[in-house]
Amino acid sequence: MLSPVPTSPKAIEDYRPVIGDDAVDEILELAKPLREARVLHVNSTPFGGGVAEILSSSVPLMQNVGLNAEWQVIRAGDDFFRVSKCMHNSLQGMLMDWTPQMWDVWQHYNRLNAELFDEEYDFVVIHDPQPAAVLASLCELHGHRPAGKWLWRCHIDMTDAQVQVWDALRPYVSEYDAAIFTLRNYIKDDLKGPALFVVPPAIDPLCAKNADIPQDTIDSILCHHEIDPRRPIIAQISRFDPWKDPLGVIDVYRMAKREVPDLQLILVASMASDDPEGWAWYERTVRRAGEDMDISIRTNLNGVGNVEVNAFQRAAQVIIQKSVREGFGLSVTEGLWKGRPVVAGNVGGIPLQIMDGETGYLVSTTEECAGRVLQLLHNQERAAEMGRCAREKVRENFLITRNLRDYLLILRQMCGVDSRSEGNAVSVPAQLAKTQ
Amino acid sequence: MYGQIALTPRSLEEYLPIVGRQRLDELQRLARPLKGLRVLNLSVTAFGTGTAELLSSSVPLLCDLGLDCHWQVVRSDEKTTTVNRAMYRALAGGDSHWNDEMTKVWQDYTEMNAGLFDDDFDVVVVHDPQPTAIRSYLRCKQQRRSHWLFHSHIDLSAANSEVWRLLEDHLQQYEAWIFEEWRFLGDVKTSLPVTIVPPAIDPLALRNMEISGEAMRDILGRYGIDCERPLIAQVAPLTPESDALGAIDVYERLRQQRPDLQLALLATSLPEDPKSYPYFEEVAGRVANLPGAHILSNLDNVGDIEINLVQRASVAVMQRSLQRGFGIWLSDALWKETPVVAAPMGGVSRQVLHGCTGFLADTTEEFARHMMYLLENPDFVEKLGKSGRQHVLDHFTLCRYLSDYLGVLVARTALPRY
Repeated sequence: MLSPVPTSPKAIEDYRPVIGDDAVDEILELAKPLREARVLHVNSTPFGGGVAEILSSSVPLMQNVGLNAEWQVIRAGDDFFRVSKCMHNSLQGMLMDWTPQMWDVWQHYNRLNAELFDEEYDFVVIHDPQPAAVLASLCELHGHRPAGKWLWRCHIDMTDAQVQVWDALRPYVSEYDAAIFTLRNYIKDDLKGPALFVVPPAIDPLCAKNADIPQDTIDSILCHHEIDPRRPIIAQISRFDPWKDPLGVIDVYRMAKREVPDLQLILVASMASDDPEGWAWYERTVRRAGEDMDISIRTNLNGVGNVEVNAFQRAAQVIIQKSVREGFGLSVTEGLWKGRPVVAGNVGGIPLQIMDGETGYLVSTTEECAGRVLQLLHNQERAAEMGRCAREKVRENFLITRNLRDYLLILRQMCGVDSRSEGNAVSVPAQLAKTQ
Repeated sequence: MYGQIALTPRSLEEYLPIVGRQRLDELQRLARPLKGLRVLNLSVTAFGTGTAELLSSSVPLLCDLGLDCHWQVVRSDEKTTTVNRAMYRALAGGDSHWNDEMTKVWQDYTEMNAGLFDDDFDVVVVHDPQPTAIRSYLRCKQQRRSHWLFHSHIDLSAANSEVWRLLEDHLQQYEAWIFEEWRFLGDVKTSLPVTIVPPAIDPLALRNMEISGEAMRDILGRYGIDCERPLIAQVAPLTPESDALGAIDVYERLRQQRPDLQLALLATSLPEDPKSYPYFEEVAGRVANLPGAHILSNLDNVGDIEINLVQRASVAVMQRSLQRGFGIWLSDALWKETPVVAAPMGGVSRQVLHGCTGFLADTTEEFARHMMYLLENPDFVEKLGKSGRQHVLDHFTLCRYLSDYLGVLVARTALPRY
């Protein structure tokens, strides 16, 4: 057995007030033929990062609707994580030096985990490239294909993948019964074999980062951070790196502050203590902010966690995500869910989420961004209206319950409950087709 | 110049409702001869450590008291960061694999940083051991005229002697040392004046702010914790040093009698050392199969509010082991009137007074026995809680720390400069 990951139980019934009876009933209905189905999710890390966040909600929900779902992480050494980080980066388009030794390390640990794999499942969902070779290793080890349907869930954007790395990974992935991508245009054209699906990521409306919190808690959190709840606030929640343009956000704030002098800016980032590049950008950001005490720069390293991020997003009149490059942009989803208009860079998965002029604005330059922010600050009624619309949009498309429903639909197709869509056609959940 | 840390100004008056007028007046009196004193605090990191936390809350208050107090972080890059960490581990008694190449990196780093020292301060307090040799490397002897103090926040009693030797001569030329505990000096001998200044908690920090019961139930509920059922917790890194598995043992034992009990392991940091990863996996694996047990991890963006709430909601907080350091976070729990059951290591026994603010325990049996007693005697928990808070108020809050600090500064600056 690989390493089991602890999760806290969740109940689909708790989501009734959020997504409505019809949506919950549909999920329960879809889950019926899958009762007791053994589903194993495998990824490489139990904590931290978007994948672990989604699994920590979706696995207990699968259990709650009757599936026998488990989540395990692969066992590996430090050398594996170094190599797989490199692999991850090169698949996302960074130019990395790839050596045969690195493949050896990757294969070695995948084989090792295949040896630890000693149970049978109806469905095995392997997340991301790190453990992708477990299936091939199992075939090799036993001389035949392991039981159950094997699905490969790819969470990363491989549009600009380093060709040599993808070419080497592809044969391993081709062996799967199905492959699931985040966006339609993330699908690799040259991947032949698996049935292809598109499932966008999602947020859990009932987790600490997204659930409603009492106004007085929000106020005391702001007060502790020396932020005045009575004055206008704009916020960006994202890493400090060039792709999220934190310096640009400060410029936007300065431009807006000329017209709204009591404006405050909150910048929050999650940082790894061992990431020197993150540190360098943090320093640059702090320097750009200078002595302006109306700019609050906070990070997880000084204790800012889910509840505070939640409070900051709710306290803001406008949320910014000035990305110049973005995967899906779950922090945009989180902002929209708080009923706030989001002004964000027109890149990656952001245009999928923001309907320009209806739930926020898509922008490309600092001036444009400042203009839209001011527009929203000046017209609070309009901003509130957009916020309401934003929340509805997320409710329909990007909640964890939709993610659960998508999985159920895919598993039903894979085991023949529902008819398979033709050949390698992409199956996109109907409600999502509207957004694409 | 080094990286200057910008801090939000704060006012000591905010502490009036907590410590009272007399205490504040006393601080003002102590600070009077120090008005305008230029003090530089030097550290290796800007946050993520207990040192950084203390600096971020104390420096603005020292400024409010009229000192010209600054906090700067020495320059480093990826390589020196790695070496700095290895040096810290070696000094704290951990495994470091120190080698000559690291010595070279450290020397270059010290020399480079000495070259960046360009300001004139009355007092320089170096808070981490890694940059302490900067003083000896200063090109201009004038700069050494400042009062150089070493404020050690680590336990040197098991320090790797080879690494300690690198620093010792430089440190012996300082004017005075500050330690958190006498014991933390280990075998180190010195003729310098040594002052003991234990660390402190900030009662006004977010980690200690009051939160309504409703918000508590709601937020902890999001993590699967039911506030209607009893909860116990350990707030510590998930490492062998804190013995997270031992905490699980205690929980398993207690659950036999109290099946409604819950356990929260609040992982404040994950193992830096990849070798402890298997240990962490074992912890996760055991929790996965234990009903009512939860891991709340900092990697999942669990922050100060969660720590606050878990300490508040727990019947008692435990600390199975503490290999190094003072363990000041136990005072955070005591401040919330939550008794602590802990192994008597590091600075624990100064915070946890047996039978008064909590219990000291060694074995799983002892831990289980004391915890069970607390679970069954809510009145006693309340009593311990009250005296725990009072004990922290008297000894481990920021105002006590400030008065110690002012005392050291007064003593040092009263001496003629050489």
